[in-house]
Amino acid sequence: MKTVAIIPAYNEGPRIKNAINDIKPHVDAVIVVDDCSDDDTYIAARDQGVHVLRHIVNRGQGAALQTGTDYALNNLGAEIIVHFDADGQMVGEEARGLIDLIEKDEADIVLGSRFLGRTIEMPLKRYFTLKLALLFTIIVSGLYLTDTHNGYRALSKKAANALRISLDRSAHASEILDLIKVKKLRHKEHPVTIRYTQDTLKKGQSFSSSFTIVKDLVRNKFFG
Amino acid sequence: MLFQILLILFAVFAIWRTIGQYKKQKVTVRWTAIWLVVWIGLIVVAMIPQQTDILANVLGIETGAAMFTYAAIVILSYGMYRLLIRAEKHHRELTELVRKIAIMEAEKN
Repeated sequence: MKTVAIIPAYNEGPRIKNAINDIKPHVDAVIVVDDCSDDDTYIAARDQGVHVLRHIVNRGQGAALQTGTDYALNNLGAEIIVHFDADGQMVGEEARGLIDLIEKDEADIVLGSRFLGRTIEMPLKRYFTLKLALLFTIIVSGLYLTDTHNGYRALSKKAANALRISLDRSAHASEILDLIKVKKLRHKEHPVTIRYTQDTLKKGQSFSSSFTIVKDLVRNKFFG
Repeated sequence: MLFQILLILFAVFAIWRTIGQYKKQKVTVRWTAIWLVVWIGLIVVAMIPQQTDILANVLGIETGAAMFTYAAIVILSYGMYRLLIRAEKHHRELTELVRKIAIMEAEKN
């Protein structure tokens, strides 16, 4: 089955090359969606010989993922899509474990879980923020998961078509879980490793950004 | 009395600005008509405030001023709700547009 990795990227110039080369051996094609970066992310990605799309206005990670998904399905004939981060937090070879479950038709969407897998140097504050997110997910989406804000996912073509991301920014992760329930998609979790560095800690979910996610979700439910 | 005069002067100024914007074709006929009704209504209320008290009493509110305050809060809240919906719609449309451009550019290369 044709597998395509989508890497949404914003100002990941120093890291994008490693991320691409990490995932590239494990999929058939890679799409990088540059979300209007201020640095040389686009050029750095283009030099790796992968598909690169560029948003001319910054729209957020969720929007970049959806752009990549549309391109993967309509232009590359993708049958399995893998979401992979550009910042080096994820391990490329672990994509195989997620893809296998889709190929065996055991799930429509496979969600990576650092709490089933492993974390490297995760700060305590991040741990508590993520655990709080678990509670929020149970209340809003009704899903019982071990890791609700993990960007490492594999989707079948059916799931990719069903999950149309409308929340452009950080809340897309919660929206995806919401849609899994609404669209009745078969889902499974799979252990993955998440590595934390000083760079990535600045970009991840902070406690204050949690309020932005909640606000976006509530706004989507009432005004969407 | 002074407040009523100031209110009338402000309403006249607002009518002048509204008509000016319409002449420059910056706003629609519907928009202009709505706001002219509002400003003229404000002049009427400022000139005969006692009459508004009668209407307020019918609605179970003590004074005309209180009635207009409550009405203003409700109308402004609804207006904000409508604006938020429209802003969300524009936000989504912008994302779709940016997406389309990104894919078209990639297809060219």
